[in-house]
Formats: sequence, structure tokens, C-alpha cells
Amino acid sequence: MKKSALAAFVVLAAAAIPTVAQQMKAENQVKYRRAAYQLMNLNFSNLEAMAENKKPFNKDEAARNAEFVTLLSTVPKGFFGEGTDKDTRAKPEIWKNRPDFDARMDKMTNEAAKLPAVVKTGDMTAFKKQVHDLGEACKACHDEYRAKQQ
Amino acid sequence: MKPATLTIRVWDLPTRIFHWLVAVLVVFSFATGKIGGSWLEWHMRSGYAILTLVLFRLAWGIVGSETSRFARFVRGPAAFFRYAGDIVGKRHRAVIGHNPMGGWMVLFMLVLLLTQASSGLFADDEIATQGPLAVKVSNALVAKMTAFHYYNGWTLIGAVFLHVIAIAAYWMAWRDNRVAPMWTGRREMDGAGTQPELRATWIAAVILASSAGFVYWLVVVYPRG
Repeated sequence: MKKSALAAFVVLAAAAIPTVAQQMKAENQVKYRRAAYQLMNLNFSNLEAMAENKKPFNKDEAARNAEFVTLLSTVPKGFFGEGTDKDTRAKPEIWKNRPDFDARMDKMTNEAAKLPAVVKTGDMTAFKKQVHDLGEACKACHDEYRAKQQ
Repeated sequence: MKPATLTIRVWDLPTRIFHWLVAVLVVFSFATGKIGGSWLEWHMRSGYAILTLVLFRLAWGIVGSETSRFARFVRGPAAFFRYAGDIVGKRHRAVIGHNPMGGWMVLFMLVLLLTQASSGLFADDEIATQGPLAVKVSNALVAKMTAFHYYNGWTLIGAVFLHVIAIAAYWMAWRDNRVAPMWTGRREMDGAGTQPELRATWIAAVILASSAGFVYWLVVVYPRG
């Protein structure tokens, strides 16, 4: 019961983000999307470590990481308003090729969404593949729309 | 009368093994680095191997066989420009070991390999993979090292292309096969030529083992502490 209430809240919160973000000043959009990316990085690095046998696979821990990644992956898209490239490594091409940027972002979100279910099966081959696919989806955007240096 | 050809053992076994392993590992590193994702684990392992080999080669450049020693093949500007003048004037000069231009290229590529492998130890792709020493330094330095690793990688690839083009040019201009000696160690010389002094392979094995031990400490033992 408690869990489903939390899930409902999370869905509502995620849905509310884009509307909130549109009214937010650029500096704060950058602040929140960075926060989301940094926490994704933290959780995803732990999954990667398990996928590469650098640490033992722990299903509960991995499930938690996967849920965080899935949820957080939906955050950044709404925080890339016009003018939010200032003092960041976001390339201006994002706003020139918005449909392509959004498609790459959605691809990442979709790959992230598959993670929790894969973790639950405990199938290491599928787990490794999904971690790899998500990593690729992250990279696809970084390669194109993220400058190497600020 | 054509002078008798003389077979000279130009490259010792350790230098040849070093060369071809590095060649394969550089291509592998480039590919895995660009693909990314889980391949970065292999990219890092390949980098550790390259670092081990380059440290070995630097030591071998001091205590190794004559043709592998820096003191012999890193030449001053006079020799460099004389050789460059010969190339421009389309005069072929057979040299045992690295020629005065190629010697600098070897040094340049070794520096690129060393800086590339070292900077990778501190790099972070900010997705899921960090170099083993990234945790030991500030994030500002990690960001600098990551950017350097990216640009320096392209410089290295550029140098490799230049190297391959030069080797091809020697073949096309003078039918001078530079690949075979690097494979067999032997080269036919027309007329005079002195056999360079080659060092025992076991000395190289000891240096390589020490180098591997150091890299293992650097990427596995030290980051844990």
C-alpha cells in the first residue's frame, strides 16, 4: 500500500516536472538536471561495477540502484529550456536539433526503464546487456550534444 | 660488381614484440574507447597493458640493445636536417635502426602513449566508468584529464597515421621494406654495415615483469589504500 502510494506520487511528480521547469530560471534548470545526472551517475556506476564483476551482484542493492536510475532518467529532459547552455557543457546544437536531442533522451529513458525488471530476473547476461545498452544510450547524447570542455 | 649483401640483426625480439603488441592494443583501445559502454572495461585493461609496455620500452631505451637505445637514435638537429634534406632530394640512405627523423617520431609516439595511458587513469566518462586514480585527485583535475585524454587520443591516432604513411612511402619510393625487419628482426644491407650489439631477452623479461608489477600496484593496490 505504502509502496504504491509512493509510486503514484513519483509518477505525478515526474509528470509535473516539465511544467514546473518551464517557469524556472535557467540557472535552476541547470542545477536540477545536474543533480539528476549526478545521482544517476552514482547509481549507474554501482550497477556497472556489479555488471563487470568488480563487486558481487546483490539483487536488493541493484534493484534500488535500478529504480533510482529509471526515475531520475525522466528528469533532465524537462530542464533543457532555451538559454540553459550558459556556463555548461551543453552544446547550442541541442536547441537547433531539438527533435533529435529529444529522441536520444527518450531512448535513454526507455533503456533505463527496462533495468528494474531485468535486475529482478537476476539473469546476469541480460543484466550486463541492459547496463551496456543504457551506457550506450547515455553516450549517444554526450558524443553529440555535450562539449568535452566547458 | 654489386657488393655482397649482408644480413644484419637490426631489431631484438623484445623491441619487436613491444612494437606489434602496442600496434594491436592501440587499435583495440581506439575502437573500445569510441564504442564505450561496457567495452570501457576492456579499454582500461588495454590501457594498463600499454602503460606496462611503454614503461618497459623507456627502460629498454636506456639499457636495451643498441638500436633500441635513445642515446643512439635520438639525434641532434644537424643529423635531422641532413636526413630530411636527403628525403626531400629523393636520396635514399639505408640506416641500421631508426633514422634521424624516425628516431624523433619514435620518441614522440612514446610520449603520446605514456601521456595517453596516464591521463586515462584519472579519466571519468561521467556515465558509469572511472579510471582507477580518479578517486585520488580533485574533480577539477579529473575533468582536465578526461578532456586531455580525448584530444591526446586523436593526436596519437594522427601520429600513427603519419608513421604508417612514412613506412608506405619508403616502400613506394625505394622498395625499402620496413615492415619485414620489424617482424623478423633482420635486414639485408648492401655493402658495409656493423652488427649492432643486441642485449639478452631475459633482461627485457625482468624489466617487463617489474613494469607490470608497478602498473598492477598503481591501478589495483594503490587505489584501495
